[in-house]
Amino acid sequence: MAARPLARAARAAPLRPFLPQSAVLPRFYSAPSKPSDPLSNSQQSAPSESDTTHFGFRTVKTSEKADKVHDVFSSVAASYDIMNDVMSAGIHRLWKDHFVRSLDPGRKPGGSPQQILDVAGGTGDIAFRMLDNAANLHHDLETSVICADINGDMLREGEKRAHAQGYLPSDRISFKVQDAETLDAIPDNSMDLYTISFGIRNVTRIDKALESAYRVLKPGGVFACLEFSKVSPAPLDALYQMYSFSIIPMMGQLVAGDRDSYQYLVESIKKFPSQDEFAQMVRNAGFLTAGRGYEELTFGVSSIWKGIKPLKK
Amino acid sequence: MLLRPLLQQPRTLTLAASRSTATQLLQRSYHSAEYGTPGHSYSPTETAILSAALHHVPTTGFTKTSLTTGLRELGYPDITLNLFPRGEFDLVKFYLEKQRLNLGALVDFPKIQAEAGLGRLSMTQKIRTLCIERLKANEPVIHKLPEALGLMSLLENIPASVTELAELSDEIWALAGDTSVDTSWYTKRASLGAVYASTELFMTQDRSADFAETWKFLDRRLEDVQSLGKATANIGHYVGFTGNAVLNILRSKNVRLF
Repeated sequence: MAARPLARAARAAPLRPFLPQSAVLPRFYSAPSKPSDPLSNSQQSAPSESDTTHFGFRTVKTSEKADKVHDVFSSVAASYDIMNDVMSAGIHRLWKDHFVRSLDPGRKPGGSPQQILDVAGGTGDIAFRMLDNAANLHHDLETSVICADINGDMLREGEKRAHAQGYLPSDRISFKVQDAETLDAIPDNSMDLYTISFGIRNVTRIDKALESAYRVLKPGGVFACLEFSKVSPAPLDALYQMYSFSIIPMMGQLVAGDRDSYQYLVESIKKFPSQDEFAQMVRNAGFLTAGRGYEELTFGVSSIWKGIKPLKK
Repeated sequence: MLLRPLLQQPRTLTLAASRSTATQLLQRSYHSAEYGTPGHSYSPTETAILSAALHHVPTTGFTKTSLTTGLRELGYPDITLNLFPRGEFDLVKFYLEKQRLNLGALVDFPKIQAEAGLGRLSMTQKIRTLCIERLKANEPVIHKLPEALGLMSLLENIPASVTELAELSDEIWALAGDTSVDTSWYTKRASLGAVYASTELFMTQDRSADFAETWKFLDRRLEDVQSLGKATANIGHYVGFTGNAVLNILRSKNVRLF
């Protein structure tokens, strides 16, 4: 009970001195859904179970989710990394570093260069880390990464950074607009490594995405997924829920000027399956997993799942 | 006196000694729902890769190089190394599990007894024989064993290493025919674990012919454990006797006790 007034004060009080009221207040205090929102129509027409999916806590038509996710990421593309830094106090960089380091991509002595597909990797932060790992630890400039993303705005942001940081022009990295569910432009059995980092929860049909991952990987290839998951000691989880539902949307408002997108972010995290459930989905897609199939980072705020495509099915 | 029949080797174990390890473990004289199924903790694919990698340990050691070589032999790309989240330590653990499960097939007590022309082997003799057999199995990789011990002593690997040592200790006692169900179940396993770990460490530094110094070291450690056991028992007797005497003196002074 004591937490409520506190949370309310945290929402309202610090804003006033810092922000022009006309810019913030009307949207800040209004409900996130607008009257003209198409979702209100879809709720009225009561569509059948199979045609709907969740978009955060809201139920939308399956056909609409991709567009909605597209809108979210188009609106956050430019401020995406700054926002991540602010919200996770920079920890997301440690997770990503650990993720790439544990995968250890790059040509080993006596081996061959690798083909890597980074799905939902628009801004390139995983792709650049993998290229660095290959170049700095294995002196390998031949391993190449394809950044695939459904969102052209995110890819443009990544391409801009690749030029700025010297990864482009070269054939080490390329950018493609691709739907994770189909991956039309990627041939079967062509990839050593498939990574998807903080992207799979935005995919409408996760099982389809896993199927495509299985299809494009070479036998023995690795599927690796970094994603938000469930925090495990209950008191910590309570704190985490408080943080994510009251502070993150507010920070989205303050830093990126976009509350709705970050409200979607925290809701979609809450909706994503638990560590064990997702590990089972990975196994159901045909992958082999080691042990329980995942590794928790920072008390399970995020987790890494890995699966290996067997030589013979 | 009552303990004597319990300490004797059950007939099932002597008969099973020459059979395959799996059946032998299934015939253990206790059952525990928490203990898990006998056998090692790796899937068939992992086992195949780790077995292939193990052939390279004498040359390239307990390293990712050995694992990668094993992977390539079986036709996997290098990236499949991700199947082993603990890297080299998975190779170490697999090696230890494999040697532990193999131990039963190495020792045949009825045959040893017949050859020596002695009567029944004492419990200590059996334990000694089993320890020596297990240590001898390290011989092909003894020059790389310090690497394995180093990996096992890393903070994140200590729980798994200690568990493995406890399981080995349990395996040795079970093969020797121990069926105790009192608190000595724990002390026996703990003390043997300590003896085995220190002897293995000694063995990595032993340059004597056929590890003669190691076996002497092992004998001294086993003696230590026995004398420690005797000392503990003596202290226990003394405390029990004195305590009883004190109570009786108090009773003789008309103190109301329980």
